[in-house]
Amino acid sequence: MTVTLRINGDLRSFATDPMRPLLDLLREDCLLTGAKSVCREGFCGACTVHLDGAPVPSCLVPVGLVGDREVTTIEGLGLAGEASDPLQQAFIAEDVVQCGMCFPGMVMSLGPFIAAHPGASAEEIRQAMTGNLCRCTGYERIVEAALTALGAPR
Amino acid sequence: MTRPAAVMDLPRRDAADKVRGRTLYTTDRVRPGVLHGAILRATVPAGVIRKLDVAPARAMPGVRAVATAADAPGMHGIGVADHPLFASDRVRYNGEPLVAVAADTEAQARAALEAILVEIELLPAVLTMEAALAPGAPIVHEGWKDYETLFEGGEREGNIAWVARVERGAVDAAFARPDARIVESVFRVGRQNQAPFEPRSALAEIRDGRVEIECSSQVPWTVRSVTARVLAIPESQVRVTVPPVGGGFGLKFDATIEPVAAVLARLTGRAVAVVNNRQEEMATCLCRENADIRIRSAIGPEGEILAREATVLMDAGAYGGEQVFLTTMTAHTLGGNYRLGAARLVTKAVYTNTPPNGAFRACNGVYNTFALERHTDEICAALGYERMEFRRRNVLGDGDLGATGQVFEGDVLGPMLARAEALRERTGSAKAKAGNRLYGRAVTVGTWFVFVGPSTSTVNLHADGSASVVTTGVEIGSGTMVQALPQIVAAELGLSPEKVAVRQADTDAGGLDMGVGGGRTTVSLGAASMAACAEVRRKLFDAAAELLQARPEELVLREGRVEVAARPGAGAPLTEVVAHAQARTGPVSGSGGFTRPGVPAMPGCAAGHFIDAIDIPVFCVHDAEVAVDPETGHVEVLSYNVVQDVGRALNPRAIRGQVQGGVVQGLGYALHEEITIDEEGRMRQVNFESYRIPLAGDAVPVALDLYEGAPSIGPLGAKGAGEVPILNVGAAIACAVADATGRKVSQLPLTPPRVLGLLRGRDPELRLDHV
Ligand code: FES
Ligand code: FES
Repeated sequence: MTVTLRINGDLRSFATDPMRPLLDLLREDCLLTGAKSVCREGFCGACTVHLDGAPVPSCLVPVGLVGDREVTTIEGLGLAGEASDPLQQAFIAEDVVQCGMCFPGMVMSLGPFIAAHPGASAEEIRQAMTGNLCRCTGYERIVEAALTALGAPR
Repeated sequence: MTRPAAVMDLPRRDAADKVRGRTLYTTDRVRPGVLHGAILRATVPAGVIRKLDVAPARAMPGVRAVATAADAPGMHGIGVADHPLFASDRVRYNGEPLVAVAADTEAQARAALEAILVEIELLPAVLTMEAALAPGAPIVHEGWKDYETLFEGGEREGNIAWVARVERGAVDAAFARPDARIVESVFRVGRQNQAPFEPRSALAEIRDGRVEIECSSQVPWTVRSVTARVLAIPESQVRVTVPPVGGGFGLKFDATIEPVAAVLARLTGRAVAVVNNRQEEMATCLCRENADIRIRSAIGPEGEILAREATVLMDAGAYGGEQVFLTTMTAHTLGGNYRLGAARLVTKAVYTNTPPNGAFRACNGVYNTFALERHTDEICAALGYERMEFRRRNVLGDGDLGATGQVFEGDVLGPMLARAEALRERTGSAKAKAGNRLYGRAVTVGTWFVFVGPSTSTVNLHADGSASVVTTGVEIGSGTMVQALPQIVAAELGLSPEKVAVRQADTDAGGLDMGVGGGRTTVSLGAASMAACAEVRRKLFDAAAELLQARPEELVLREGRVEVAARPGAGAPLTEVVAHAQARTGPVSGSGGFTRPGVPAMPGCAAGHFIDAIDIPVFCVHDAEVAVDPETGHVEVLSYNVVQDVGRALNPRAIRGQVQGGVVQGLGYALHEEITIDEEGRMRQVNFESYRIPLAGDAVPVALDLYEGAPSIGPLGAKGAGEVPILNVGAAIACAVADATGRKVSQLPLTPPRVLGLLRGRDPELRLDHV
């Protein structure tokens, strides 16, 4: 069937199975590969995108159920120019990134969280990261960078 | 000592793309029109293939090619070529590849696999090392005697794939001394899955008649040679390129699916992608192996270690692979840390009908350190020594002998123990956080090595004052290719690191390299690049000498200029000198190579060893505090301190990142990453639900003290820092839990049920009579 989606501001139609995971449509049909296919079961958060601004694991969202919600991928954040998001800037400036596979998902999940919780503590940030796994960094510096992005004293 | 120009906290140049989702890993490069490969795998642990009819698969929609063992006749392996790409007559593990299909879509490829008719007659399987070593056990490789030997010197016999032995000094006499007190311990550990976020992935195609493979690998040259071997084509017919890799941790040290993509590309003449899904990736993971260990020590009247004996059984799985090489490393771990009067260490890699194992960050060093440090604490408990005091007295120092008789240089571990105590004073104790739970603390030491070996680098210096570096090094996330390497080259050529471009790995462009792993990249590629820069400087100074009317020896490189050392300001911009050279003698480039210098060992001590001595030892001290909940068996890590020998920290901030990451990975191994093998010889934990890697809430902040100044042949005195942080995490946690509970901790991971079993004295003591 035909599914019409608004992705990063563009309205596009696809002839596809409505049960297909949004992740696959983004990666294979749109070549938006910033969302990573890591576990495909909702455990790792590497595939996180925003639906109407709210983070969701795109591996668990069938394209037929997206409806008229706006899909934003990591590529759609601050479309042009340098990484402008304070969280992205902190990740870069504090040398937090390692292999990087989890980071698009980290940005997509943590970004809305810190925007909504400007006074979040380290512990609350750790809680908020429960759905985002990272095999490389051991997490602590991600938490520290998130605190920097919040302008929290360290 | 003045700080070399190469030392700096250079930020990663790949970070901006990575946080914006713009980095294209191999998995992101599967473009429309590329065929998809899928692999049919055996579903029994041992058997004889009676029928394999692939004709129905060929008739399925979208199918472009079907490959079997006939298309990949060669065998590969480490030490001994025991491993085919596809099973042909015998199946040796559940999950072994039988057939590969290439089709227009992945779904079509997988559907075609279903159509293949397979009949396998079951054979009795050996699923544990105990079973494999029992008298009359079925032999995993009936034809083991006929395999091609790739490295001489290892004993092999039936299910014993390889034996490495060390014997130094009069071991039996030491154990027989009337004043010797003997302590014996046994240990068992399970497998650990690397679980890198990017699964193994490969894209292959044929260009100008050659096979080109783009893949997620740590060792492009291994993919090149293994592909050539199994396809029975010359190595020169294979080109391997590697884009950024989404984590490896050792898993991607061996070639696995890359040759499959190559076979399918040859059969179809088209680009073919083979990408493991998570379940396949985990079910066929080349894990850190499970192992059974027995250690005995004879302790003298002064608390000295008169002699040590140990036997380590490593489960290779169905094929030898890395375990064959790693048998060597027992000597350097169990024979490390402490001064030994005499040593006898025997390590056997054992075949079982289970998925093959592989390399994982610090490999068997991790569990051998666990065993050694727990054994050391058992010595202290049995003979009444204070744990720290015993270590201080016995740790390796300047002039002491390693297991194979190599002479260690410098006092490193002793001062590091003192630094660990000072670090603890600064961080304080977190004991108060234990509340009503059982509190324990342990300080453990560890000895590992930098796996050096051949690397090549070519440096081109351009007339705009920039440079490019060509190697076959791979960026797997550790930062070497984006930090240490540009830092070193920039410092050698007096440039800013932004002006140094580093080429992605390409076996057609760069020379031989042993790959990324074993903490070797900064050392080996750094040293090769320094040698390349030396040639660049020579050419540059020759050209400048002519231009400046000076002798080449008088010249130095300073901030983008070639200057006469004694006359600051007298010189010419680099750009002008390079332009002059280009016109007069040709463009300026240099190439350098590096390999291990070969530290001497005592002749005749070691047999079956791939390396007789360690060229660059690396030491660490870990200090952990834990709280054990007596009701649930849950272990909480209260604090974690590390003192790590880094030789020279080229990028201290990046090292901190590696240490934090390595320690947390080690906490997973120590506490909850558990793999069990079912009756069918499969790993039970094949997704992130059943295999629990650490979450943010499991992490603890690591307090780190970088120990600099220990001897190292690495560039500027550097040692690899990324591999070793995981080395003694299992040891530190196990010793701390033993301290908290007063029980013998003999197994990892320390899951709540296992800890409860210990606390309640419920489980029988581990015996391991087969070791
Ligand atoms: S890939 Fe979607 S949560 Fe892991
Ligand atoms: S940086 Fe590799 S998974 Fe997070």
